[in-house]
Amino acid sequence: MAGKLATIDYVILAAYLIGTVILGLAIGRRIKTGKDFFLAGKALPWWAIGMSLVATDIGGTDIIGVGGAAYSHGMAVANFEWIGCVPAMIVGAFIFIPIFWRLGIYTIPEYMEKRFNVGTRSALAVVWLMFMTCNLGIMLYASAKMMNVLFGWGITECVLLTAALVGVYTLAGGLAAVVYTDVIQCTVMIGGCLLALVIGLNDLGGIGGMLESIREVESAKGMEEGEMTALIVPADADSPFPWTGILFGLALVLSPAYWIGNQAIVQRSLGAKSEFAAKASYVWGALLKNLIPIVVAVPGLIALAKFPELGDGDKAFPTLVAELFPAGLRGLFLAAFIAALMSSVDSYLNASATIVTNDFYRRFFNQGASDEHILKIGRVVTAVLLALAIAFAFYISKIEGKGVYAIFQTLMAFFQGPALALILTGLLWPRANGKGALVGFIGGVAFSVLLYALGQESVYTAWGLEPLFKVPDPFLFYSIWAFVVAIGLIVTISLLTKPESEEKLKDVVWRFNRTS
Amino acid sequence: MTPLHHIGELFRNLSLAIPMGAVRVIFLALLIGLLIWVLRLPKEATTPPEGTGKAPENLKLWASVALGLQILIYCCF
Repeated sequence: MAGKLATIDYVILAAYLIGTVILGLAIGRRIKTGKDFFLAGKALPWWAIGMSLVATDIGGTDIIGVGGAAYSHGMAVANFEWIGCVPAMIVGAFIFIPIFWRLGIYTIPEYMEKRFNVGTRSALAVVWLMFMTCNLGIMLYASAKMMNVLFGWGITECVLLTAALVGVYTLAGGLAAVVYTDVIQCTVMIGGCLLALVIGLNDLGGIGGMLESIREVESAKGMEEGEMTALIVPADADSPFPWTGILFGLALVLSPAYWIGNQAIVQRSLGAKSEFAAKASYVWGALLKNLIPIVVAVPGLIALAKFPELGDGDKAFPTLVAELFPAGLRGLFLAAFIAALMSSVDSYLNASATIVTNDFYRRFFNQGASDEHILKIGRVVTAVLLALAIAFAFYISKIEGKGVYAIFQTLMAFFQGPALALILTGLLWPRANGKGALVGFIGGVAFSVLLYALGQESVYTAWGLEPLFKVPDPFLFYSIWAFVVAIGLIVTISLLTKPESEEKLKDVVWRFNRTS
Repeated sequence: MTPLHHIGELFRNLSLAIPMGAVRVIFLALLIGLLIWVLRLPKEATTPPEGTGKAPENLKLWASVALGLQILIYCCF
């Protein structure tokens, strides 16, 4: 696609980038306190938060990756955006988010101290911070690498340019800038991908033409009819998305852990102007999520129908754009890709700065800090974290990048299950106590590490064992078992030790908040 | 074989024994169950306190649309 970009494409891209930064800087002029910076002054409307939720969830690499996975493995990848998002968002809207909003908290670990104890808060904050900081570096590097392959741009230049653009408006405007720029980014992202869908389908003679071509490809590759368009895949299929992993690992563990426990996601709803707006934002996000696989995954199937011999799925979306899009529209797709990248980086940057400032600096070093002082600290922390992320991106570029990316996906699965166990028992089971929570969280993480170790060839061959999991990249299964073990430990230890006082549970448990 | 291998094997065999038609029913049951829960939520949990009481202001409607689309999708694919 590198040689296919015309001047008009670059003009459109530049206009989008400049517009985004100007908007972010304009919002930054209104930021006066830490509450403005981290919670947008609790003034965000539901429609902006909902669009921001969707934009944050889809990164630049996801647009290419989801289309690529659809090309290689079929529509089953859409489960990540459908059953892997919508149910958890609806449950979150009516049970979890209203309680978090009413408590006036800045972070999910802060909730853990109100419900359990400072140890649980710190353990969760440390794990999230480590993950998010590294993930920032990974996102910068992975996207730069993708831009290098797709457009022929230098990796160093891409990392620095992305970091500079995102850094400028996130540093200036905090959460408000992140959310309002995400609104533009969500619109550009969906618009760009929708173009690929419409142009692609038109080229194939409509949906019927696409399905006909896909059936021919299935037949040529010796697949069963309908295999590439099936959402639910058998447990023993040669696919990374068997139904067992999708239902138990994704829909019941990873997805709720993400939508109600991920600071980068939940934080924007904590900045909603009202409790109703916080709920409405999640419902609006769930409605939008119904659309996402159609504009992101279906173009992968279109590419399969049109170019069945590409080999690498990650080439599917770019090839479609390069071959079918006229000049100008290619620039729009490029803007959509960069919008998706920026909307994820800015959210993780702002969320990790919120954790450092509130769960460490304010909690342990300066509890009486003024809101103006917290704003200054928040900006300094944002700059430091961005510098760390850039350094980590360059570090990854010197070692084997793809392997590191896969490892961090697995690391996320290590603690997402135990983190969900904390939130579920914390909000829904009044008998859960601090000791049980801390032991359950640490035990759950340790168990998932054990499962990971038993899946390593060097370990199981040395011990004369069979591999524990039969599917490639079994991260969905780590999360299931880590969740089960964490829940088991929380329940057991809590029942064996003293319960929390009724006074402590008053506003932090759902049982006491029936009207929500 | 460790105890973990035996447990894993047991669950793997159990999941393989479930016909794909029944798997689809499980997926749909999850979504339908959630839809029923949403429809039974009290009005004060789904409407703004200062609202006019009109249907579009009720989040129950939009949450049902989102879940209804999901049910349709998982019925068809």
